[in-house]
Amino acid sequence: MKLIIAVTILLLTFSINAQKFTISGTMKDATNGEDMFGAVIKVKELENVGTTTNAYGFYSLTLEKGDYTLIYRSTGFRSQEIAINLTGDIEKNIELSLPADVQQITEMKVNAEKENDNITSSGMNVTKFDPKSIETIPVIFGEKDIMKTLQLTPGVKTAGEGNSGFFVRGGGADQNLILLDEAPVYNASHLLGFFSVFNSDAIKDVSLYKSGIPAEYGGRASSVVDVKMRDGNNKKFGASGGLGLISSRLTLEAPIVKDKGSFIISGRRSYADLFLKLSQKAELKDVKLFFYDLNAKANYRFGKKDRVFLSGYFGRDKFKLGDDFGISWGNATGTLRWNHLINKKFFSNTTLVRSSFDYEFSIGAGDDAFGLRSSIQDWNLKQDFTYYLNNNNTLKFGLNAIHHTFKPGALTGSNETFNEIVLKSRFALELGAYIQNEMKLGTRLNVMYGLRYSGFNYMGLGTDYQFDEKGNEIGSKNYQKWESIKYYQGLEPRISASYIISDKNSVKVSYNRNFQYLHQLSNSTSSSPTDNWVPSSSNVKPQIGDQVAMGYYQNFVKNTYRISGEIYYKSLANQIDYRNGAELILNDQVEGELVYGKGRAYGFELLMEKKKGKLTGWISYTLSRSLRTFDKINNGKEFSARQDRIHDISVVLMYRINKALALSSTWIYYTGDAITFPSGKYEINGTFIPYYTERNGYRMPDYHRMDLGLTWYMKDRKKFEHNLNISIYNLYARENAYTITFEEDPDDPSKTQAVQTTLFKLIPSITYNFKLK
Amino acid sequence: MRILFLLLSAITIVASCQKVIDVDLNDANPKVVIEANYTAEDSTVLLKLSLTTSYFEPSTPSTLNGAIVNIIDGNGIATPLISIGNGEYELTAYVPTFNSTYKMTVLYDGTTYSATSLLPNIVPLNPMTYEFSPGFFGFGEGYFVNEIYDDPAGVPNFYLAILSKNGRERNKVTDFIMGDDRLSDGNPVTRPLFIDTLFSIGDTIDLELQSIDEKIFDYYSEIQAIAGSGQATAAPSNPISVWDNDALGYFSAYGNSRQTVIIL
Repeated sequence: MKLIIAVTILLLTFSINAQKFTISGTMKDATNGEDMFGAVIKVKELENVGTTTNAYGFYSLTLEKGDYTLIYRSTGFRSQEIAINLTGDIEKNIELSLPADVQQITEMKVNAEKENDNITSSGMNVTKFDPKSIETIPVIFGEKDIMKTLQLTPGVKTAGEGNSGFFVRGGGADQNLILLDEAPVYNASHLLGFFSVFNSDAIKDVSLYKSGIPAEYGGRASSVVDVKMRDGNNKKFGASGGLGLISSRLTLEAPIVKDKGSFIISGRRSYADLFLKLSQKAELKDVKLFFYDLNAKANYRFGKKDRVFLSGYFGRDKFKLGDDFGISWGNATGTLRWNHLINKKFFSNTTLVRSSFDYEFSIGAGDDAFGLRSSIQDWNLKQDFTYYLNNNNTLKFGLNAIHHTFKPGALTGSNETFNEIVLKSRFALELGAYIQNEMKLGTRLNVMYGLRYSGFNYMGLGTDYQFDEKGNEIGSKNYQKWESIKYYQGLEPRISASYIISDKNSVKVSYNRNFQYLHQLSNSTSSSPTDNWVPSSSNVKPQIGDQVAMGYYQNFVKNTYRISGEIYYKSLANQIDYRNGAELILNDQVEGELVYGKGRAYGFELLMEKKKGKLTGWISYTLSRSLRTFDKINNGKEFSARQDRIHDISVVLMYRINKALALSSTWIYYTGDAITFPSGKYEINGTFIPYYTERNGYRMPDYHRMDLGLTWYMKDRKKFEHNLNISIYNLYARENAYTITFEEDPDDPSKTQAVQTTLFKLIPSITYNFKLK
Repeated sequence: MRILFLLLSAITIVASCQKVIDVDLNDANPKVVIEANYTAEDSTVLLKLSLTTSYFEPSTPSTLNGAIVNIIDGNGIATPLISIGNGEYELTAYVPTFNSTYKMTVLYDGTTYSATSLLPNIVPLNPMTYEFSPGFFGFGEGYFVNEIYDDPAGVPNFYLAILSKNGRERNKVTDFIMGDDRLSDGNPVTRPLFIDTLFSIGDTIDLELQSIDEKIFDYYSEIQAIAGSGQATAAPSNPISVWDNDALGYFSAYGNSRQTVIIL
């Protein structure tokens, strides 16, 4: 620790000679005034000198007195070159415009990236998408979903057929930190995972960090998915939307005061249950099943130095069977942010976040009705600073405190059969502090190094239980409000470095350690709203992920083709699994149902991309393993995690036929999930029972599928543009196994058989999208 | 949890399809399976001894004869069971003592297997009632019956209910209706029950409510999670056996209460 500080100070004090001035400002989209995140500012005359905009479009660059040409660019926009004579501090606010017509969009998208930012950027490569760049990719039910596009990139594996949940580099589905405008989203899926909660109309962009995770992020062991909502058009009123088979969307946006503030409000509602009315099965006709979500955001600039953002998300799923049974669940998040420019080099962001997730069952009607409720609620205060020390060093540091309230469950109602049960709320305070420096060493070496301190105070009011080897309670102790029950803390080093071999190739290495203090309990095959989050406690230790990764990046043919290879090794400590027959719902002593072990994952990822021309797309291949070891499972022998898919291939091709038509196609192949099948059987009360020998010792059949999409950009009207998207999911109707069950042959009870269930065979869909100009 | 699978199937029913497939499974080494019941109602102890077989083998399980089987009561007095062939061992006219723990031992091929079970006090059923329902969740109109009993306060109770319609008993392990008083301790319990479809006028409904040991409740609950097609867990595993020495199976000593109602 002391060494790191000493080295930092040494490096920081390097260059204090010639007279220096600062160019600072913001970069925006000229059409709607949206901030540009990650846009690049380069100095033409100097090698490896430049910066990128932060999440609020702010940049700051300090150079010696002189004449320079600055290049401003961002994906999908026309870049600008500006000559400056630097004899004092300059403020330069830049707006980049879109290319003139649609035909050019595809070319420009490419053009803007003709440069080799992927080679020269520091840190490991971030996987970044904006909804526009993926709008033609075919998707199930025609509902474009940025989380599903992420699953087509190397190292990211889907949680299952049509599912928006995912695994990153062998980690668990609960090990991804999913942020929406800095608010953690605890259950990022609708309808048991078939849709993500992210309405692509309301989203600016999504960044996925799977290694070299910056020190500003903490709290999950495997990855970070940072989703940013759009700010809304601050130039003029805009409306856009879409009509689909399964859901529809509408977005409105407008300036509050032109160029000073704007708002956006975007809603989505599904009507999947209408299909059930068509079903032959009578029991499905009474079913109500839908979700909706609402994104809203407003921002306002007070003077030159201050800007305030208020954003919120509210979404809910509802499922009802007649009047007698209902489940509803949803997330609500609210973020209040204050950007303040302390000086031209010093940027501050203060954030207050409220985040919650809850689910509710209601059973019966009238006097006999009873209900079950559970929730997690957070208050989260964050202070982040960015200090643009000089053109070789950008410092980031900050503090974070989150107060968690877990309400594991309450059973209430007037039914005389059941007692009212209210499980005690549990409380915890999660703390973080970090410092990070992004540093250029000479013209070829970029290093980002940082350290995060994290602490977790599991505290009263509450009861702490002790359990024996078999999970039976052997003692308990009560604690007062705010009294610490258990305190965990850890240091999380984060280092990544890139070495630019030439302007066409580079190598990057990284190491990161992440602590995870919250754990999601899930023992079902699909993602479920009842997968409760629990805090670390005296029984449950924090999960720790350590990862080293290395990558090589090469561009060919004037940056038209890119190829990259990354290898990684990840070790996971204090992983959680369940005892046989674990009761996870309404159980005060749920910790007695858990067993603990460790995991490791390693792999090789290859990505080939074509970025230019009429045909664009990528091929991704992942060769990887993900293994777990638990003393109490599989006789202590290491076994495959469910997501231990050895080979995983995605091919994404987008072809712009002409101005009006775009064709796209994806093909996916992966090794079947590791799964437990029986190796024998026996009879209990005249029923055959499967006999299991090892955990996940078998494989599901390999999965593969092709999707096709066609987007027709219909003739532009004066004030109106619109398109029609037709997609076919599972074009060649491959019968992929969703589940394989072992059961008695219904025609001959003396025989047993294996039955495969396939979910989706050839699903066509059609979506109409429009936008006012 | 089952309700979530209902939900899942509701979402996917439009598109999903099922077929029987070939799966290449390994053959585990055969293991001893012991199924033992002490039914207080007819004072009979019955034990079945068999081996596991490979999963797709069409024959019935291979049964084991020639074991020495004993039941030991709460005072430590052992009584032998008599082999009646086909891997079955029986003892009749064995008078029960409620709220005491019984132990069984099986000596086979040089290995002794043992298990214990509490014979809990019987919780009596009150007379059943029935109610008309205009139909819900796609079930057409009809009647359901109410299982009614008073749960004893202050003690954990575990139940197993078996319904029969017009004399056809639903006694497969997958049809067992399991219950406990985790959420209803000490309350008058009314629980609506029906089979596959609602009942019609003229149906005779028999209900048996067994009061069982906690271990047996856990065992059957785990069996139900892996038997039949409703496999609910992502990583199924064998239920925790009630027997030692690595034998599979259970030993349940239980009393029961019965009620009958005819829907008029």
